[in-house]
Amino acid sequence: MLKYIALKGLLAVLVAFTVSLAAFLLLNVASDPAQAIAGEDATPGVVETIRARYGLDRPVYERYVSWLAGVVQGDFGESYYWHKPVAELVAERADETLTLAFSALLVTIVIAVPLGALAGLNPNSWIDRAALGVAVSAQAVPNFWLGLIMIILFAVMIPIFPVSGDNSWYHFVLPAIVLGASSVPAVMRLTRTGLIEVMGADYIRTAKSKGFRGNHLLRRHALRNAILPVISVLAVQLGQKFGGSVITESIFAINGLGRLALESILGADIPTVQMLIFVFAIVFVAMNLLADILNAALDPRIRIG
Amino acid sequence: MQFRNVANLVAVAVVATGLCTPANAGPEDDTLRIAMAEEILNLDYNYTTKREYIILAQLTDAKLFEFDPETQDIKPSVASEFEWVDETTLDVILRDDVKFHDGSRLKAEDVAYTYNWLRSPESEANATGVVERWLEKAEVVAPNRVRFHMTAVYPLVLRDMASRVMLRKAGTYGEDGQIDRDAMSSALVATGPYRVVSFEPGTELVLERFEDYFGEKPAIENVTVRNIPDIGTQQAELMSGGIDWMFKVPEDVATAADAIPSIDFLSGADLRIGFLVLDAGGWSDAEGPMTKVQVRQAVNHALNTEEIAKFLMGESSQAIHTACHPAQFGCDQSVTKYDYDPQRAKELLAEAGYPEGFPLDLWAYRDKAVAEAVASDLTAVGIDVNLRYVKLESLNQARAAREIPAYFGTWGSGGTADTAAIAQIHFGDSDRNLSGDDQLSELVLAAEQTADPDERKAFYSQALGVIADEAYWAPLVTYTANYLVAADLEFPLSPDGLPRLQNARWK
Repeated sequence: MLKYIALKGLLAVLVAFTVSLAAFLLLNVASDPAQAIAGEDATPGVVETIRARYGLDRPVYERYVSWLAGVVQGDFGESYYWHKPVAELVAERADETLTLAFSALLVTIVIAVPLGALAGLNPNSWIDRAALGVAVSAQAVPNFWLGLIMIILFAVMIPIFPVSGDNSWYHFVLPAIVLGASSVPAVMRLTRTGLIEVMGADYIRTAKSKGFRGNHLLRRHALRNAILPVISVLAVQLGQKFGGSVITESIFAINGLGRLALESILGADIPTVQMLIFVFAIVFVAMNLLADILNAALDPRIRIG
Repeated sequence: MQFRNVANLVAVAVVATGLCTPANAGPEDDTLRIAMAEEILNLDYNYTTKREYIILAQLTDAKLFEFDPETQDIKPSVASEFEWVDETTLDVILRDDVKFHDGSRLKAEDVAYTYNWLRSPESEANATGVVERWLEKAEVVAPNRVRFHMTAVYPLVLRDMASRVMLRKAGTYGEDGQIDRDAMSSALVATGPYRVVSFEPGTELVLERFEDYFGEKPAIENVTVRNIPDIGTQQAELMSGGIDWMFKVPEDVATAADAIPSIDFLSGADLRIGFLVLDAGGWSDAEGPMTKVQVRQAVNHALNTEEIAKFLMGESSQAIHTACHPAQFGCDQSVTKYDYDPQRAKELLAEAGYPEGFPLDLWAYRDKAVAEAVASDLTAVGIDVNLRYVKLESLNQARAAREIPAYFGTWGSGGTADTAAIAQIHFGDSDRNLSGDDQLSELVLAAEQTADPDERKAFYSQALGVIADEAYWAPLVTYTANYLVAADLEFPLSPDGLPRLQNARWK
């Protein structure tokens, strides 16, 4: 098992660096960072000053190597905009994104698992069709649209929640619903399929023959087994919430990593973008790794294979 | 049981609403709440460039002189008066009642320090480019008198002082070799009508009226600037009373929001203009069609600028025929005007040897609808336009490589209502100048080296006349500045399009 984890861990680090290299090249080749920082009406003199100030006049490979050397020593460089160490900047904003990601995951679980269970226990019934309808709708609706609709409904027309900001837990309700909704279809379907499969299994028949029924049968025998693959999917979904927070944080003006990423990309703040991509990649890869380990722990055939 | 649970939930929601909904903006707490999409990260305008920072600098900073957008005059501000010692030496006399936000009095040393610091290469400030053009050294010659030694005759010195240089206390950016260029980025100590109370970069800036401000004090006591990236969210905040003011509002959004009684749509002038720059100098193709004056005139005749202004830019937009904004000093409107006349355009193309037209790569980086309208107008007279809509950086790179036969550009003149602010960069020594006309560059330079306003006007008239006659540009339209504001806010618009929030008041 340790060998398996080590191998997966090594692959994770390689993926993170490959992503960072691709991001670095795209950021530098596709645009002129100095111009992006300076703005539309900047004179050539100002652009040149910025280029020299941030060492953007050096070759791209040289800058990447120097960034990599810093990362190995735990130094992610200094932001062009904020003029402070990028690691400090990311640490300051991680709170908001973590809060949003975990709240969104909670929303996903609260909606998707019961809905999936209901659908799985009543396959092909109107409940099943209604649940699948919810899943299809949640999948079809883009985040930015759902966000604006939620704002109009629950912040403007019925002013229960604040429109934007991140001053209190209350500010996170609407964004968590918006971000959480996108994962509902996958988790709901998996719960439903798992339950249908489990409910047809021999051990459930045995349990029923012993007289177990209703909630007890569902909680002690069926759901516990059906939910195992869902847990590993939720781990991956948590990773996706980090990346997915970019749009949600912008709509709700939450000052987290997603919004930082968007602003940094628009402003070509390369050190910040680099670290954020690195962090997002690491989180995503770590969550995948966690899911792999969970699966391997639950099913030994996986680590042998 | 179930009903009781639901009732409990509703009760929690109601209580939470009362506790957590942000306080409404407006006169109740005398706080003007404004939204900006761009993240505010640095409060020191000496080290920034973007529009948002100019607006904030108006609130927090004072300069030696102030530009009056109504009269286009340069008026004293921190300076009380000025005297020319000779053609290249200017004495500025300071008021004696100017205080910094920390309560200390502004001294001549502070002014000299600020200018000398910005002049020095180690400052690496964004304002350096403006100061180094003319400043040799600033020195204190009396307790309230600063002498500016200039490298050459430069009549725009007062304009530069009125637009770009924010005054800082001596030693602000470090002393004894210790340099701190970010010293004022978040804890700003300036001399303007508002002082910084708190600042969370990228989230919120809180300002309060500076009671020791030497000038006319603002009517509203507090200003809060919130960063809200999404324009739809800003609009929702305005509708729910969370903010009082938003800007850069697209025309369609603003028009729709105007129907809401609690919101006013204000549309004013903006110094930004749109234009086509034509490669008359033949940089991209020495024998290309754009090197022929009839072709360039045909392009001018082909464009229906009135309709572009009316239908694509908004009600305050206007068609222009000069290489400057009509509100700018020296922007002579009597130069040659090319009316919309597609037939005449076709005739001119035929005269130039292109009766069947020619293929043209037209570059653009913003306002796609306008770029497409231009392309459509040109196609209608036989020019086969290939619209290359790209990122600004790509256009800049291609222009620097001299590969662009024509592009749709815009320029906001940094909010400066003087033709110099646009002529300098587009017809001087810059890769934006595609005219290839050295005499024109000399005219523009001459206008900058003349102190007499009438003489400057004459030079600009001559230069703008040449640009129009030779059709180096196809001027298009002025831009509009669209605002959505709370109905109880009185926000006066400025002719130069620069929002001056310090002049706002409650109705």
